[in-house]
Amino acid sequence: MISLYHPGTSWLHRLPAGGKLIALAVVSLALMSQTSLPMLGAALGVTLVLYRSLGPGWVGRLAVIRSLLPLALVLLAFHGLTGDWLLGAAVALRLVVLMTLANLVTLTTRMDAMLAAVEPLFRPLSLFGISPRVPSLAVVLVIRFVPVLHQVQLALREAWQARGGRKSSWRIVPPLIIQALKLADHVADALSARGGASGMVPSSGAMARQTESV
Amino acid sequence: MTFWRSKRASTQDKAVAFDLEAASYARFENVGLEISGRTILQDLSLQLNQQRIGLVGLNGSGKSSFVRLLNGLRQPTSGRLEIFGADAVAARKDLPRHVGFVFQNPDHQAIFPTVEEDVAFGLRQLGEDDRLALEQARDFLSLHGASHLAQRPIAELSEGQKQLVCILAVLIMQPSLIILDEPYSSLDALAARRLHAKLESLPQKIVMISHDPSQLEDFDRVVWIEAGGLRADGAPGEILKAYDDDIRAKAAAAGVDDWDRGHL
Ligand SMILES: Nc1ncnc2c1ncn2[C@@H]1O[C@H](COP(=O)(O)OP(=O)(O)OP(=O)(O)O)[C@@H](O)[C@H]1O
Ligand SMILES: [Mg+2]
Repeated sequence: MISLYHPGTSWLHRLPAGGKLIALAVVSLALMSQTSLPMLGAALGVTLVLYRSLGPGWVGRLAVIRSLLPLALVLLAFHGLTGDWLLGAAVALRLVVLMTLANLVTLTTRMDAMLAAVEPLFRPLSLFGISPRVPSLAVVLVIRFVPVLHQVQLALREAWQARGGRKSSWRIVPPLIIQALKLADHVADALSARGGASGMVPSSGAMARQTESV
Repeated sequence: MTFWRSKRASTQDKAVAFDLEAASYARFENVGLEISGRTILQDLSLQLNQQRIGLVGLNGSGKSSFVRLLNGLRQPTSGRLEIFGADAVAARKDLPRHVGFVFQNPDHQAIFPTVEEDVAFGLRQLGEDDRLALEQARDFLSLHGASHLAQRPIAELSEGQKQLVCILAVLIMQPSLIILDEPYSSLDALAARRLHAKLESLPQKIVMISHDPSQLEDFDRVVWIEAGGLRADGAPGEILKAYDDDIRAKAAAAGVDDWDRGHL
């Protein structure tokens, strides 16, 4: 299975996951209402420098921008047609900056580190008897499987074109939904085959493990 | 990170008693399985007690469904099933601790992106501390000659390497019984030999589905599933021969172009 994480040893990889997530949240909030083109341009510059620091192959890591372009263009056109091209450019640029920054965090953060960073947020849930592990695992699984779904979509489009379909079509949407449900099924099975989302009760197992004495 | 565990242990501990030394690790009594009104398995009565048991049958005959009953991925809808002496329905949540399951498709088994994370996950499931789990996973990988894979994304591995990782991810949980659903389906001949030797060296009990009779020849017993029921059961030499003869007879009778004949 594919995931966005790219193994490496850059300083961004070594930064603690919690720190990166907080920094991402702060920067996103700060940029959220930012409409100044020079400011957003500068933010994009800084983002590119950060990517650059990943070392050789960093340009390839920016592939996420390509899949964002259509959406950015739609935003630009929408604002442009309602009379404000500058605002359109700012909105589109903001989208690109925020998504590439978020991508940078997933590129450089392992999933177990992300899990450990997110889990404390859900800790209050245990007051109600809910294991905080379940929602944090859910968050991380979403981050994990979005690129997988994207891959499924590409594969379906190829299958569609291989059998003579035109460039792309709404017709791949129903199979995409079915594939997504199947994927969810597989992940659920994979989880329960190793003890389910909240892990296995320790004490009953402790008993059994003694008899096991491997 | 131990916060939730104490909570769980105090509120939900049902203390299911497993008997890992039981003579039969699985005991089927008229077991049936229905999924949304369709009968998938019916009236199965048998006991599994050999070290290594092979499972054969045509596509769609119910082999995968059968082994899913063994580790709690599915529950019987009729009859009674005991695994290591515990009722399979009551003990479903704890079954994965003792019954490891290697999926037919490694992509359906791996949850975490990198090898060591996925291997460590099983230990965390058993209540191990995050950091210790990762350390033990690394040690375990190098013990099995796979330390070079530890940091690699599973997606980038070859099929044989993926299969090995999936087996190690199950082994590290020290199950008493290991289920393998067609582990050879995407391996080349060399990787298949390696896997065969690895399985042979394991102390665990094994139940394995395979479409390749040569992988089951040295097993202790072969069970043949047909149309959701037990067709035959016995020594590998005898059962594999009968199975092969049956396939030849079906092919001759129906013509190999009849895809539906004999399938459930
Ligand atoms: N989730 C499900 N819902 C409905 N029917 C199912 C489901 N899973 C399996 N089946 C049906 O149960 C029957 C047995 O399937 P199963 O996967 O156990 O067969 P199998 O012997 O493992 O086949 P193969 O050799 O192709 O893997 C098939 O007819 C299949 O269509
Ligand atoms: Mg199967």
